[in-house]
Amino acid sequence: MRNRWNLPDLGLGVGLRTKHFRHITKHWPEVDWFEILSENFIDTEGRPLWYLDQIAERYPIVMHGVCLSVGSTDPIDFGFLDKLRALAARVKAVWLGDHICWTGVAGVNGHDLYPVPYTDASLRYMVSRVKTIQDYLERPLVLENPSTYLTFAASTMPEEEFIARLATESGCALLLDVNNVYVTCRNHDLDPTAYLDVIPYEHVVQVHLAGHSDNGTHCIDTHDGHVIDAVWELYAQVHRKAGARATLLEWDAKIPAFPDLQREVRKAARFRGQRGRARAPA
Amino acid sequence: MSRAPSTLAHLQRWMQIVVTHPSGAGAGIRSSAANALLPRATRNIETVVMPSRSQSSIDRLGIYAHMYYARLIEVMTEEYPTTRRILGDEAFERSCRRYIERHPSTERTLQRLSAGFPAFLTRHLPAGRRSVLAIDVARIERAMEDVFDAPLGVPLEHGQVATIGPEEWVRLRVQPSPALRLLKLRTPANDYMNAARGGRRARVPRPRSSHVVVYRYRYQVYRRTLDGAQFALLSAMHDGKPLAAAVRLALRHSRGEPARLAARLGGWFRDWTAAGMLQVPGRPSRYRGRRGSAPRPARR
Repeated sequence: MRNRWNLPDLGLGVGLRTKHFRHITKHWPEVDWFEILSENFIDTEGRPLWYLDQIAERYPIVMHGVCLSVGSTDPIDFGFLDKLRALAARVKAVWLGDHICWTGVAGVNGHDLYPVPYTDASLRYMVSRVKTIQDYLERPLVLENPSTYLTFAASTMPEEEFIARLATESGCALLLDVNNVYVTCRNHDLDPTAYLDVIPYEHVVQVHLAGHSDNGTHCIDTHDGHVIDAVWELYAQVHRKAGARATLLEWDAKIPAFPDLQREVRKAARFRGQRGRARAPA
Repeated sequence: MSRAPSTLAHLQRWMQIVVTHPSGAGAGIRSSAANALLPRATRNIETVVMPSRSQSSIDRLGIYAHMYYARLIEVMTEEYPTTRRILGDEAFERSCRRYIERHPSTERTLQRLSAGFPAFLTRHLPAGRRSVLAIDVARIERAMEDVFDAPLGVPLEHGQVATIGPEEWVRLRVQPSPALRLLKLRTPANDYMNAARGGRRARVPRPRSSHVVVYRYRYQVYRRTLDGAQFALLSAMHDGKPLAAAVRLALRHSRGEPARLAARLGGWFRDWTAAGMLQVPGRPSRYRGRRGSAPRPARR
C-alpha cells in the first residue's frame, strides 16, 4: 500500500545521537537514513550542527520533534516553526514531525509528552492546529502516537480512533510507533492488535521501534534496550497491513555502540522480506 | 483556527500544576491552585483520571510527576558535573529541584534551562568556602554550555594584526568572539576543575580572586585562567573600547609598567588569535558554513 503523499520507504534507519557522531563521520556506516531530534539542533551553532551538516550530505535525514505541542491550548509558536523550517531546509529533511500530545501550557514547557482527553472537542481543536501548522510549513506533519500512562475520564473515544480521525480530518501523516502501541495498550489494558486494526495505513509513512521498561504494573517508554518479541510481532502485523514503511530504531538511554544499533534495526529486514543489510551511504 | 475548548485549557493547566508539584502528584491534586481549576478532582480524582487494573489514578499521574523532575535534573547533572561533586549528590539534586520549581522551562529547547542556576546558588547556598567554590564552578560550567551553543565570529588572524598600522591601532576596536565568556571569580575555581576533572585529588581552596576565560575554538570548548591585565584587556575589548583605551586599562593591572606590558602584548595577541578568541567587528557575526573551518575574512 502506498502512502497518500508517495513519501519514500527510506529503509532501515536509526536515531542520530551525540555518542555516535565520531563513529558515523569516521566509518560512514551502512544505514539507510537517520532521524534527528529537531530540538537538539535548534538554538545552537555548536558541534552537533557541524556533525549534522556532514551527515546530511551523505544520508537522508528525517526531523522528529518533541516540543511542537500540537495539542496545547497555548498559541502556536510561529517563531519555533520558522526555526524548524530553517533546519529542514539546511538538512534537506525528507519529512518532519512530532507527537500527538501537548508538552506544556501557560508558557511553561514540561518537556514531556502529555495526552489529551480523546473527545470530539479536543479532536476539532487539534485538527485545526495541525492544519494551521501544515499550511505554515507547507508540508504534511508526520505525527506519532505517544506512549501514554493515564486515561482521562472525559475521553469519549479510544486513542486509536482519535488518531485515525486526526489523520483523515487534518490530512497529516502518521508515524506509527509500535513500541508505543504496546506500552500504551499495556498501561490501559487494551488489545494492541485491535488498536492496529483502526489505523489508516495510507497515512502511515514511518514506523518506530524501541525498547521499554516493564515495571509490572505499567510500562515506561525508556528507549533503553532491545525491541522485545511482542513488539516485533506488532511490527510484522503493521508490515502485513501497510507494506514496507521507513523504519527507525530509537535508543536513547544506555546507548550501545553503533554496530549494536545496526544489528538491532537490521532484524526488521526479516519482516520486510529483505536481507539484513542496509544500503551504503551516498 | 478554532479556539481552544475551555475545558481542555482548564484540564491542561490543572495537569501541569499536578505533575510539576514539588511534593508529588498527590500534593499537587490537593493544592489550592489545582483545586481552583478542578475542584471535583480534589474531591474524587477518578472523575478526572481513570485508574487502570493495576494503578490508581494518583499513581498514573505520579509517573508524569516523577519524570518531570527526573528528566530536568538529569539535564542539569550533565551540565554541572563538578558543581555536583562539590555539593554532593543529595544537596545538588535538592538545589536543582528547587531551581526548577522556581524557574520552570519556558523554551522549546533545553539549552537555557539552567541559565540562572549559578545566580540561584548564589542566593540560596549557605555561607562557606564550599558554597563559594560551588558558585564559581557553576559559573564556569554554565559559561561552557553558553559558548558550546554560541555562534562563532569570523576570527581575527594573526597575519591581519601584523598589517594594522600604528594610527589604526589607536582607534581599532577588536572584539572577543561571541563564543567567549570572561569570569571574575572569588576562588581559583579553574584550577580546582582541572584537578577534579583530571582525576586528581581536589581540595576546596581558600578564597582568592581569579579570572577565567571560557571560549570555543572551532567546535571544542576551552577554559583558561587569566592574569589581571589579560582580563582587563579582554573585558575592555568586550565592552567595545578602542584598543588604545583597552591597553590603558590593562596597564593599571600591570603594575604600571608600560614596557613590561608592551613586551607581553604581542604574545597575548598571537596566542589569542591562534585560539580564535578575537574577531574584527563589522564582519558577518554568524558563521553559516557547512564545514569545520570558519571562512577567512578578507584582508584589510
